[in-house]
Amino acid sequence: MRVHLVTMPWHPLDLPSLQLGLLNRIVRQARPGDEVTEFHGSLRWAEFLLEHSGGRLGPGEYVEVGSDAIFHGLGDWVFSGVLYDDPGWGLARLRDYAAGRDVFIDTALAMRPYAASFVDACATEVLAAGPDVVGFTTTFMQNVPSLALARELKRRRPELTVVLGGSNCDGPMGHALHRNHPFVDHVVRGEAEYTFPALLRHLDAGTDPTDVPGLCWWDGTVSRANTETRRTVAPADIPSPDYDQWQTALDASPVLEYIHPKLVVEGARGCWWGEKHHCTFCGLNGTAMAFRAKPGERLWTEIDRLVRRHRLLDVVTVDNIIDMAYFRDFLPRVVDSGWDLRLHYEVKSNLTPAQLRLLGDSGTVHIQPGIESLGSRVLDLMDKGVTGARNVRTLRECENHALTCSWNLLYGFPGETAEDYTPVIDQLPALVHLQPPSGAHRIQLERFSPHFTDPGLGFGKRRPAEMYQHVYDLPEDELTDLVYLFDSEPAGIAGPAERRLQEAVAAWRAGHEHSRLLFEEDGAELLVHDRRHGRPPATHRFTGWGAAALRHLEAGRTVSALRRLLTADGYELPGEDLAAWVGRARELGLVFRDGATYVSLPTWGEPVRLSEGAR
Amino acid sequence: MSGLPGTVPHRLTGRRVEPAGPLDLSGTGRATAEAVRFLRECQGLGLGVSWRAAGAPAYDPGLLSHLPPPAAPAAGHDGWAAWRTGHAHGTLYHRRGPDFVTVLDRRERGAAVRLTLDHPALHATFLRLLEPTPVDALDADGREALGLLAAERLVLARGGWAVTLPPRIRRWPVPCTAI
Repeated sequence: MRVHLVTMPWHPLDLPSLQLGLLNRIVRQARPGDEVTEFHGSLRWAEFLLEHSGGRLGPGEYVEVGSDAIFHGLGDWVFSGVLYDDPGWGLARLRDYAAGRDVFIDTALAMRPYAASFVDACATEVLAAGPDVVGFTTTFMQNVPSLALARELKRRRPELTVVLGGSNCDGPMGHALHRNHPFVDHVVRGEAEYTFPALLRHLDAGTDPTDVPGLCWWDGTVSRANTETRRTVAPADIPSPDYDQWQTALDASPVLEYIHPKLVVEGARGCWWGEKHHCTFCGLNGTAMAFRAKPGERLWTEIDRLVRRHRLLDVVTVDNIIDMAYFRDFLPRVVDSGWDLRLHYEVKSNLTPAQLRLLGDSGTVHIQPGIESLGSRVLDLMDKGVTGARNVRTLRECENHALTCSWNLLYGFPGETAEDYTPVIDQLPALVHLQPPSGAHRIQLERFSPHFTDPGLGFGKRRPAEMYQHVYDLPEDELTDLVYLFDSEPAGIAGPAERRLQEAVAAWRAGHEHSRLLFEEDGAELLVHDRRHGRPPATHRFTGWGAAALRHLEAGRTVSALRRLLTADGYELPGEDLAAWVGRARELGLVFRDGATYVSLPTWGEPVRLSEGAR
Repeated sequence: MSGLPGTVPHRLTGRRVEPAGPLDLSGTGRATAEAVRFLRECQGLGLGVSWRAAGAPAYDPGLLSHLPPPAAPAAGHDGWAAWRTGHAHGTLYHRRGPDFVTVLDRRERGAAVRLTLDHPALHATFLRLLEPTPVDALDADGREALGLLAAERLVLARGGWAVTLPPRIRRWPVPCTAI
């Protein structure tokens, strides 16, 4: 059997498709007689745009539409005209949508005229490989491009078997994709390690795949959806991805000179925090929350192999949360390699300074700690399991260890009030030397999140997000099953409080680059050099218990805990003075207050700071 | 221990370094190769350097534009103004992998050239020349590799001495994706 695996736009251009890399190995391991080929349609689309637009629509424009516009569906919209055989399909609705929300759509508009001829060329190239089965992987905005090509393939060769899988097919979404698109023969819902080979066996035998868990298939003209399994794939059965065909496609591509290719690896699936406390807004793990990790030694073996094979030192992990065991059995191996790797990892925010140091030493210099908020009450509302003080401490340690920290400030949680934000917003100017959030964003209602599954949490009314009106030509009840994002009633802060938060975050971002707040030890004195935006330059000098207090507050302490620590150090403290002293330190912006906890803000390290995209 | 080569006397205070005297950039011998190595290591560690230049270079001074620029002279002609205005962190650096080295070169404005040195002779010579080395000390393979590396502007070979130009990145900037 010839199996052709396809990833369509808008897969990131600088990354191989982990999904294709895994499926390729899964099929070859399970069915050594099969021929497995790949079609990197995302790369092809970037090449097609470059060539046919005379360089006007390059990889930068690809990112603008394909990655930056996920919440507006622009990438899907570019291909909707092909899917619905109407180059003008959804244009008026998109214009209305964009005008109402001040969304820039010119680049997407410029791309759409190329979509039909691109899908046509894709169909020719895919069919030239002579496949029996074409398997699409679809995540985020890959649905419409994949459906458009699937439809064209079946039009040209009806006997071909078309299969869809990937995150967009999880749960009811997969069934809705199937029953609304008769040219899709099968939809694999959930993890494919066991089910895709099982489906191929049925196709070989010509039998109905009634026993393949989660699979959608056609029983005559009736779309059947087999019951999904609760069984997750064991880490031992998750292969190491094969990126050879991606490398071949990339080496031959003119896109290569525009991008910085990276490797993608997978250490774990699911979320160990979410198993205990599901963050109320998060739907990322879909139906498979159970945390499963490859042993650190195995993850390192996979990276070792891929680095040697592809000669790439940048590694992106797709894990939703790092396995804490990796601080013992994976990261030390990375350090010991002596290679200059640069890794990206999602971690939990409550790491210790020693753990953050190990991340830095191992080259895991790009982290996403899920900070989300700096106020403990809002963090409690989202069941994040971390305090505002702890998050501020993590931001400070990122400076100390030169870690790049990607984070968002989220708001709009049911039950939050302006009073929850006032003390945080008032203190944001003191944090200007720490890495700012990408912005302050109102949370979206995501399928699979507690907010979605439990309307009692505050989002009782919901309908498919408005953007899908210019993406799909489907009735609302079908969209309700098919899509991932929903609009709902407003929750949390609004009006002046929301505006104040937005303005404070914008000021943080604007003032950050030239702001510093640095500790320096000078004999018995502890100096704090304040060079923060919005304050006159100053150097504060601390000695004795004052110096010791600032050091103790690095870990975040209450005044009474601080008093105990200083007394244990042997300092004699005047009764009322300590609280007043901490208050003064707060007025100077040297400590951050979160409820009763105070945390020191000066850093010991000063990373080389650059502005993104300055070149 | 500053981690910096001792062949150039210097003082390290916090994250700033000051060599004891002017650095010879004339390109007439070992002193220039040592000066380049010193500046290269400072750059790799992300240290600030306050230094003065001596000698007029007998080579394209743009080869050094990725290194910390010299201070402006108190008086007289300033031949290095373009270096100061054009300098940016991460313009040229290398990273080590198993049996290969990658180089990122953004010295040409608007272009980012990525090179992978995995040919054994190129790889070995690139690493060997991190230490300033007399050209005469290289064997035939080494000299051929030196010619190729010099053609890619990855080595300064002048006055009978050769030294690798791209620092090894030891400290990523924030954001690390900016370079």
